[in-house]
Amino acid sequence: MGEYFAGIWTARYFWMHLALSDLRSRWRRSFFGVLWSILQPLGTALLLAVVLSRLFHTDIRSYAPYIISGMLVWDFIMAVSTGGSLSFVQADAYIKHYRHPLAIYSLRTVLANLTVLALASVSMFIWAAIAQPSKIGASWLAALTVYPILLLIGWPFVTLLSYLGSRFRDLPNVMMLVLQACWFVSPVYFETSMFRQAGLGILVDDNPVFHLLQIVRAPLLQGQWPSGKDYGFCAAMAAIFTAFAWLVGRKAEKRVIFYL
Amino acid sequence: MSASRISLSGVNLHYPSTAYAPSSLVTMLGQVIKRGGRSVPLKDIHALKSVTAEIGTGERVALLGHNGAGKSTFLKTVAGLYPISSGRLNVEGSVRSLFDISLGFEPDATGRANILYRCLLMGLHPRYVREREPEIVAFADLGEFIDYPLSTYSAGMQVRLAFAISTFAGGDILLLDEVIGAGDASFMVRARARIAELVRQSEIMVLASHDLNAVESLCDRGLVFHHGELAFDGPVAKAIAAYRDMNGLDLNGSTSNGRANG
Repeated sequence: MGEYFAGIWTARYFWMHLALSDLRSRWRRSFFGVLWSILQPLGTALLLAVVLSRLFHTDIRSYAPYIISGMLVWDFIMAVSTGGSLSFVQADAYIKHYRHPLAIYSLRTVLANLTVLALASVSMFIWAAIAQPSKIGASWLAALTVYPILLLIGWPFVTLLSYLGSRFRDLPNVMMLVLQACWFVSPVYFETSMFRQAGLGILVDDNPVFHLLQIVRAPLLQGQWPSGKDYGFCAAMAAIFTAFAWLVGRKAEKRVIFYL
Repeated sequence: MSASRISLSGVNLHYPSTAYAPSSLVTMLGQVIKRGGRSVPLKDIHALKSVTAEIGTGERVALLGHNGAGKSTFLKTVAGLYPISSGRLNVEGSVRSLFDISLGFEPDATGRANILYRCLLMGLHPRYVREREPEIVAFADLGEFIDYPLSTYSAGMQVRLAFAISTFAGGDILLLDEVIGAGDASFMVRARARIAELVRQSEIMVLASHDLNAVESLCDRGLVFHHGELAFDGPVAKAIAAYRDMNGLDLNGSTSNGRANG
């Protein structure tokens, strides 16, 4: 295990380069370039907020930051679960040539998407600050912990998916379906009050997605620190995915090359 | 640094059939529809059959054999890429392999940027790469094109750059797979000199090639593979003879080095 992480550290310049190269190719030859990562989610969130706040009779000023926070984190989850499950397949040429630890290729996917998220969330912070200036406070610092948390959950998760995805190429499609289901039962766009009124409070209180979103939402929307329970759920997710990735990887790590 | 060594004893390697057997719904339906038609069940490929070999410091080893005999599999096994099914494999020393020289290029980046990317792939430190960059640029000899994007390069120019990058840093153990034979005539002369120099620097060199001239001039020992088995292990001249004999090449017994197209 220690040796494995030493290998990842040794290859650090390589995976940093791969993540940067992914970002470069994403923005290459586009006039707005990096700006698209900020503009695109902002535009979608505005549209959604206008329509949904009418539908649900909520105040657009507080609802728009709610939507945008949900959307950004959800986009990240979608991107790493569907695209990420082919991390090893995408890196097949490298894997067939150099014996780097495979987890560097899932790390690359997570880091590239995390950078996009970090850029996109600039608009979330600005929006929240303009909409509800009274909520600005020290607790906003806690919102920044969402990035390391997403790294700690996302990296083992994508590594696990990539082991499976190199053998079963149907995985991105399966993940798409699974995530769609998760989306409907999670307070990503729908407000928590809607779940509670329908007697579905369990989908809020025991939903890891809710607690993950609370890391951002509690500070930005309510001006509060995220609760210990929120962090507890995140830590549990990270631990569970790490355990599974390790269990699967013990056998799969060396055999992945046959399936590329 | 301790002496480098490659040691294999009774090494077997199988490619699992699950990796290449068709498994999609469409092919399954196809098989149901043409039931009675011939469907060949695919078995695990036994790519290395109980291979035992010992290679020590200072040895220059050629791998000979027909296509699919196990030469590349042997190299990739020694490089630690393939997990062996049974036997013992022990490799001491840092391995530098050269299997696919145009790997990891970014077409939209300049030649100079690609030098950095390729070197990072090989696990080198960015500072070290920047120090050695002029050397690579000089060897590739692309003139002003080194600052143009790679997409403007001709195929031959790409090969020159790739070759210059891949061969500038050696390891204790150098593994080469059919890399000789790229670029125009003047570049070829320098390329051969470069390979010879790399070979001198490394402690162990293992080369898989069908170019018997290159094999004879660069190597002193030959391993001949035949359908996954190590069929001959000995001095390179005898290995070449055994290889020709086994594959029915050049049976008139002449010692001239024709090119073997096997």
